[in-house]
Amino acid sequence: MLKYLIVMLDRASVPFCHHEPAEKNEGLISAADLKNAIRFGMKENLVIQFVYPDRAIPAELENIIETIDHVKIKPYPSGKDDVLVADIGAIPQKAENETLVIRASIQELAEKVSEVENAIYRFKRVNIILKEPDSISEEDAGAYKLFLDRLTYYIAGQTASGKELPQFNLLTDRILLDKMNNCGAGDESITIAPDGKMYVCPAFYYDGDAPVEWDKEEGLQLPNAQLYRLDHAPICRACDAFQCHRCVWLNRRRTLEVNTPGHTQCILSHHERNASRNLLGRLREAGIAATLKDIPELDYLDPFEIVK
Amino acid sequence: MKKEIGTVSADERDEIQKLFERRNGLNELAKILTPSDEELYEKLVKDLGETSVKFQNWWDRMAANYSWEGSEDGHWEINFDTCAIYLVTEK
Amino acid sequence: MDGIKSNKVIWKDGTAKNITFIVTKDCQLACKYCYLVGKNEKERMSWQVAKSAIDYILDHKSDFNEESVIWDFIGGEPFLEIDLIDQICDYIKKELYIRGHHWFNSYRFNFSTNGINYDSEKVQQFIAKNREHLSIGITIDGTRRKHDLNRIWKGDGPEKGSYDDVVRNIPLWLKQFPHGGTKVTISSADIPYIKESVLHLYSLGIHEVNINAVFEDVWKEGDDDLFEQQLTELADAIIDGGWYEDYACSFYSENIGKPLDPVYDNTNWCGAGRMLAVDAAGNFYPCTRFAAYSLRSKKPLIIGNVHDGIDRDKLRPFLTLDRTTQSPQNCIDCEVASGCAWCQGENYDAAESPTIYQRATAICKMHKARVRANNYYWNKLFRKLELEGRREEYEANRKTSNPILPC
Repeated sequence: MLKYLIVMLDRASVPFCHHEPAEKNEGLISAADLKNAIRFGMKENLVIQFVYPDRAIPAELENIIETIDHVKIKPYPSGKDDVLVADIGAIPQKAENETLVIRASIQELAEKVSEVENAIYRFKRVNIILKEPDSISEEDAGAYKLFLDRLTYYIAGQTASGKELPQFNLLTDRILLDKMNNCGAGDESITIAPDGKMYVCPAFYYDGDAPVEWDKEEGLQLPNAQLYRLDHAPICRACDAFQCHRCVWLNRRRTLEVNTPGHTQCILSHHERNASRNLLGRLREAGIAATLKDIPELDYLDPFEIVK
Repeated sequence: MKKEIGTVSADERDEIQKLFERRNGLNELAKILTPSDEELYEKLVKDLGETSVKFQNWWDRMAANYSWEGSEDGHWEINFDTCAIYLVTEK
Repeated sequence: MDGIKSNKVIWKDGTAKNITFIVTKDCQLACKYCYLVGKNEKERMSWQVAKSAIDYILDHKSDFNEESVIWDFIGGEPFLEIDLIDQICDYIKKELYIRGHHWFNSYRFNFSTNGINYDSEKVQQFIAKNREHLSIGITIDGTRRKHDLNRIWKGDGPEKGSYDDVVRNIPLWLKQFPHGGTKVTISSADIPYIKESVLHLYSLGIHEVNINAVFEDVWKEGDDDLFEQQLTELADAIIDGGWYEDYACSFYSENIGKPLDPVYDNTNWCGAGRMLAVDAAGNFYPCTRFAAYSLRSKKPLIIGNVHDGIDRDKLRPFLTLDRTTQSPQNCIDCEVASGCAWCQGENYDAAESPTIYQRATAICKMHKARVRANNYYWNKLFRKLELEGRREEYEANRKTSNPILPC
């Protein structure tokens, strides 16, 4: 069931997920399309998120946006309630947002761990999104695990010394989740692009996919819509890496099917899961989080091994 | 005439089947080797000899173990699908 | 049991790795039902590509760890490339031995041929050289009128059927392969000739008739009724004539037409993804059905090539596909679901989006018609056995048979 509407205000809207934007080919959404998008969101009772470009937009569009309750996803500068998107090398020191999305490659994460350590205690919530997910090697996966292990020790230490447990997608989400909590593109969320049409997510728009139609009675006219749901993903429905994005765009790039993740995606998610498990163990040693649910030990990093 | 006289276990069947297949493979490989493959040919001939010995040993072992009925003008056959052993005679 | 011929047990129970060389897209015939829509004379596999494919496969033993292998050759018509095939098979035999590969003890060369040049000197020499490792099926579709309805010679001018050119090679083939089976394909126009065709094939001495309706959406209103009628009449002929004792027809199986549990009967039977096909350009496919020349409306689904190897991520959907995830609810709930087959290639080609996870169900009514005729067959046969006092013997010696034969 649809719950979220993402509205890209510009063709060069800030990339807040795995996808890279197209070349800086500016193309603002028209006022009419923006109004239609908002009206659609209101009638279908969706949480509306506007994705801004890295430049000011006309006051007319801003005024239309302010007619409805919403979330802004923006680069710096942005307001306290906005979701700030920043590259790891450019996290603004003066930002006062509550929520930060850091985009980084694994190499960058390995080199700039201290930036992340700093950020997770500066902001109320930090999400890290990997850049270039297509080109991640076995060696990169090892570096990623090391990065997560370092942060595990850091957070455990900070929490033991009295700091509040941070909200950090890679490590603390899994501790608190008891079922899958994924991106949901094509199932729970849909995107309206600057051309005014619907797409599974911005990445599908940039890939040149055909737009998706909406039927008032039947809803999304997405061919084989069931394949965007967890119950039709044989590997994922057997998995407990609940924090995984389950990115359907990345799935399609790697395996040609939206319901099937590639090997690397599963490895990375399981490194996150296992690091969360380690963190939970350390918190319990410090007398914290005793009531939280166990994360069982696994002898595999890829649930494909138990499903095939 | 073909008469069923017994069966072997699946493991015993697998053993002889592997030898049977190997012997066939060696025989067919021998047909395509040329004089320039002298070393390979030597190896193959030795292998064929050893495989044939193992092959015969299996039949001797099984016959002794199961005390199968035999015949001077007959031979034993195995059905690989069913593990059944047959005595095949001229009459 | 002695007295009822079942379909042949599949070599190695279907666990062998199946590797298919698409050696040519050329064929002497232009069969009307052929799913190979892009046949041509130009795309022939070179020796270099074949060798590269074999070397890749044998170099990556850990990725090909099945106990046995079936090297499959298709086209078009594979025997048009007998020289290449001969070279390939010789290389395989030698390499397997030199490398000490366990497949040397367990391999087959498999061919599905139109039979036209079966008796040529080169083909016969090849057969003599590889006799113990060969599996060759000749496609003869039944009576002359049924066979020539579809299996016609290529070329301009009036249609010329190929029956005479094929049937003259059947005695030689059966002499060399007494247990040889034929694959018969049923499309809409063939239905009225099913009964006479199966009986005709029996009369030619072919004991195994593997006969299947196509998966493609070719069926017309009333085809299922006619199909059921033909299979019922055939059942009468087979049972009343005692053919069942020594001749098998894949239409009739004890295991079809039952409901399937969504959890315990959820296995994918189709081997796409577990087999490997390689084309003239050296591209790898999860099955030949995903090559460009087999597809009507989708792009080919390439999983790698002889230079870069196999992208194992692209195999994951195939290896995790199960029955229920691809099926609409009415298939999951179907009370006669067992034996209803699917083809992942046809799934992909017919789907609303490029996916293998949308089951193509054009065959539904035909399956249900088959189930009704199949029930009739077994009820009649069992009654006959009871009256003859042979029913208990049958039950005691019952073989499990595979109701769905692989492609």
